[in-house]
Amino acid sequence: MAQEPKDVLVRMHEDLQRALEKAPEDRRWVMVIDLRKCVGCHACTIACVAENKLPPGVVYRPVLEQERGTYPNVSRAFVPRPCMQCENPPCTPVCPVTATYKNAEGIVVVDYEQCIGCRACLVACPYGARTSDFGYTYTEDLPVLEGAIVGRETSDDYEVAANYEYGKAWSRENHGSPIGNARKCHFCLHRIHAGELPACVSTCIGRATLYGDANDPDSVVADLINLPNVVRLKEELGTEPRVYYLV
Amino acid sequence: MAKKQEAKAASKGFNWKSLTKAELAVISIGALAFILGVWGLYTRLFVGEREVGYGSYVVWGLWVSMYLFLAGVATGSYMIAVLEYLFNVPMFKGTGKAALWAGLVTMPAALASIGMDLGHMERIINVYLRPNFMSLLAQMVWGYTLFLLVVIVTLWFAFKRPSDTFFKVVLWIGFFMSIFLSGGVGALLGVNASRPYWSVGLLSVQFPIFAFASGVSLMLIVVGWFMHFKDEEQRYHLFRWLGWVAIALSLAKIYILWAYLSQAWYSQVPDVMVPFNEIIFGEYWWSFWIIQIAIGTVIPLVLHMIPKLAHNKFWAGAIGVMVLIGFAAARANIVFPAMSVEMLDGLPNAFFGPHLNIRYFPSSLEWSVTLGVIGAAILAFVLGAEFLAVFNKPKTEVK
Repeated sequence: MAQEPKDVLVRMHEDLQRALEKAPEDRRWVMVIDLRKCVGCHACTIACVAENKLPPGVVYRPVLEQERGTYPNVSRAFVPRPCMQCENPPCTPVCPVTATYKNAEGIVVVDYEQCIGCRACLVACPYGARTSDFGYTYTEDLPVLEGAIVGRETSDDYEVAANYEYGKAWSRENHGSPIGNARKCHFCLHRIHAGELPACVSTCIGRATLYGDANDPDSVVADLINLPNVVRLKEELGTEPRVYYLV
Repeated sequence: MAKKQEAKAASKGFNWKSLTKAELAVISIGALAFILGVWGLYTRLFVGEREVGYGSYVVWGLWVSMYLFLAGVATGSYMIAVLEYLFNVPMFKGTGKAALWAGLVTMPAALASIGMDLGHMERIINVYLRPNFMSLLAQMVWGYTLFLLVVIVTLWFAFKRPSDTFFKVVLWIGFFMSIFLSGGVGALLGVNASRPYWSVGLLSVQFPIFAFASGVSLMLIVVGWFMHFKDEEQRYHLFRWLGWVAIALSLAKIYILWAYLSQAWYSQVPDVMVPFNEIIFGEYWWSFWIIQIAIGTVIPLVLHMIPKLAHNKFWAGAIGVMVLIGFAAARANIVFPAMSVEMLDGLPNAFFGPHLNIRYFPSSLEWSVTLGVIGAAILAFVLGAEFLAVFNKPKTEVK
């Protein structure tokens, strides 16, 4: 009797555990996004906002809606755009204080405490994958209603509390980082190191976003990134993105 | 017996009564600009930068443009000072201190303008403690800091030991720094291969030329409105020389602009054409056609051709002001439009929020801060020049 195939989420979770047993420099994290499966629900965007407690104006993973063709031959494509985690990132050498760099695992990270907020990395990124945190909160314009179940005083507790990017608590009080910093997708490193898949991967309703260690020949992603229908954004720039799109 | 004597040497020290009408007028303008800037400076320093117009897509705005402009004026002023002290051009005798003082005032103004743009300006110290010299920005911060020190040392030598051999060494160092640093701000933009409109070699080439032209324009103002000459012939010769240089630089500027824009036009590459169209026909058309071309280039060129006006003290200074305004607009026309390109098709409409826009116009906060910085620079320049007596005013004594 044939064994029922495992759900891809389960397989990716197993891939992740194997990768974490290796030395960081031996891992090659990649993301594969199957555009044929993406329905444009934006669940990944919202999951990312919730996971990283992103304030207004900061987005790590928008879903681009692109219309192609002219009537009657029209189609609409949804293109989720996380950080490309380039092998040759143009955003890192321009940083005047090395606050953004490729870590041992090849993920481009931001040292929030070092970043001076010059936004040179935002200018250099060819994918518009970085945004600047100007210190807004979603709840700041809510009315303060004494006794109300949902008023600013109640609802802003969540926003004001620290987030845990890069495995550290970041409080937003007193213009503390990451306010004033460049911010970007980091493939949910804090989740990865805890053995969890990135929030956008776990949340994708169509299993359109896949993640894993490309150096592991048994991983889900290793199978996919060499398919002939794989493309990467702006390949002509030579940035060698680690995000692959299946078209 | 009362006798009016003219001192041989200009005296130092501040005296309100000795201010000329031109100086008082410029001080009033500077004070007004500074007062208008107080709100912006306070807001930016003690409230934050939420009220700015730039953001995550149009990443750099008015303050970065003003940094490029003021840094150009500072380096250009140094180039002018070199004419007197290093190359001993006779007609520039007596102008070097004013040029150096202008450089010393505009350089901190440039750094203040770029400082306002930082999300964490208190961390600028990190650039000195942990610099990444692969970054043009780090190179510029270090370069301009050293340049500032060189200007201070040069000014000291100009006052104290103008005949010292070491003065020449400092001048050579400052001269090369002024060329490379003015080009460096062009490279700061040009190294971004992801911005095809900037990523051309021509960008960093034009900046030293523009800087020298800025210095010449500033000298027209100084010579026309502020400087005193024992022999008015010297002023006349300076007007003629500065006028010819200004015409040559204006023609060079027009050619460079033509080369830059025509290259963009003939390429027909969409990422290059978007900024091109924004400048020529789009949102910034008035900044290009009216300020940069008409006020900053064509009108000064025409005025230079009319000797009666070109050699008139007021009009010579006015020409300088017009050219400088044109250069300020030129920097803005290089910075803003290049960022009005969608980095990926559909990106600006993919997620909505504050500062996620590819349309940009400086906010009232940005204008206010810019007025404050420029007002402070004008005040510092004129008042400081009076204190240091760099305008060679004759001292009048009553005995």
